[in-house]
Amino acid sequence: MMTATRAKILVVDDDPDFREAMTAILESASYDVVTAINAADGTQKILSEHPDLILLDIMMDSLFDGYSLCNAIRTSKEFEGVRATPIIFVSAVRQIAGSRFGFKGEEQGMTGPDDYIDKPVKPADLLARIARFLKK
Amino acid sequence: MRDSCAQILLKNRYRVETAENGTAGIQKIRDLRPDAVIVDLKMPGMSGFDVLDALPGIDPHIAVIVITGYATVDSAVEAMKKGAFDFLPKPFTPEELRIILAHALDRRRLVLEAEALRREKKILEENFITMVSHQLRSPLVAIQQYFEVVLAGIAGDPEGQLKAMLGKASERLTGLLNLINDWLDLARVDQRRLIGKLKPLDLRKTFDRLVEFMTPSARDAGISLEWHGPAAPISEVLGDEESLEQVFMNLLSNAIKFNKPQGRVRIDLRDEPDSVVVEVQDTGIGIAKEHLPFIFDQFFQVGRGEDKARKKGSGLGLSIAKKIVEAHRGRIDVSSEPGCGTTFMVRLPKSSQAGALA
Repeated sequence: MMTATRAKILVVDDDPDFREAMTAILESASYDVVTAINAADGTQKILSEHPDLILLDIMMDSLFDGYSLCNAIRTSKEFEGVRATPIIFVSAVRQIAGSRFGFKGEEQGMTGPDDYIDKPVKPADLLARIARFLKK
Repeated sequence: MRDSCAQILLKNRYRVETAENGTAGIQKIRDLRPDAVIVDLKMPGMSGFDVLDALPGIDPHIAVIVITGYATVDSAVEAMKKGAFDFLPKPFTPEELRIILAHALDRRRLVLEAEALRREKKILEENFITMVSHQLRSPLVAIQQYFEVVLAGIAGDPEGQLKAMLGKASERLTGLLNLINDWLDLARVDQRRLIGKLKPLDLRKTFDRLVEFMTPSARDAGISLEWHGPAAPISEVLGDEESLEQVFMNLLSNAIKFNKPQGRVRIDLRDEPDSVVVEVQDTGIGIAKEHLPFIFDQFFQVGRGEDKARKKGSGLGLSIAKKIVEAHRGRIDVSSEPGCGTTFMVRLPKSSQAGALA
């Protein structure tokens, strides 16, 4: 008997409507979804749930919330066990994400995400990007 | 003289300091930062005029009154050209001194107020832009996100008329979002803002990236993108990468959009004696001669009636492009042959040219 484990995706965003929309999209593609409402909650959920991929809003409380969390996951001891988890930045403000041509956090010496996507997210686009990361 | 002026003014509750010559006076002005200074033009050593010359470097808004000898209007006029507010010819009465000083201080107050207001206006403008950006966009993006989920059939399968109407609502929303984004872009393009972000750019690399990015959408539209990066190096231009990318992206996407089936877009980049030139040429329907003068106007879109209401573009793309190019001290021009195609030409000064954007 085959039991396939569903991949688990963590959505970190302070907007409940966005969390609801993402949950609907991801569940329709048979992913398990965990949500977090800010960077602190996100930190806790990453360490307790070990998601296979993280969707990270970069405009939460302050501009560098998302950037800092991403950087921490990639560099700090606290996140050693989950270091390689793919991270996709989600941005509501076109120019803040850093264009597709560059990562703005670099100027601050930060390590960036694996991909970017702009809000509003097109379901097919999001699912295609996620599939690319989760195909092993 | 010093003491009698001091006496007069002390009676009016001014705080008064005196100095016995120009040099001492300048030092006291540096140390004490007074609102006003009364200077005798005729002094041995550092003259009143020398004092006047030194003042802008210390406090450009200090109120200055000069005291002149009897019937020396010339030197008074000279002093006022150098920034003095007014002059008092000797002999003068206490009342004359008080009145002129009061006027001078009044003017200083108004100038300082105007400056403070100007600074405040700038901050408000910038806050307004940020506020509009966040407050208006946020809920619209949230609404559009729900449309995306519903139209993808994730919350149930919309059919027929339901699907069609939701689709149209979503399109109008896209138009609105584009309009807000573009309007903010237009508001933000400012030469002063650019100054900090300028660096020497190799436009070959810029176009390599842009062409790579636009190739999939060109292919989808059946249009071929012809970009042959020039073999020889091209002079660098001093520019803000992000905004120049925006300009070229706009030209490329227009060239793809307004092209004929299986058409071509040709990108040419070359060095000319004084500038670097970019040409984007399409094989589209072209632009009628009577429309050409308005092509860079805000909200100008070719097309009539219903078509226009439903347009996704904001009509601001080219006016933003023009504003950005001009903020770089460049030029953008258009030429077109209806039925054959259109060419947009952008000319930018080379970074090697001294004072290109200083």
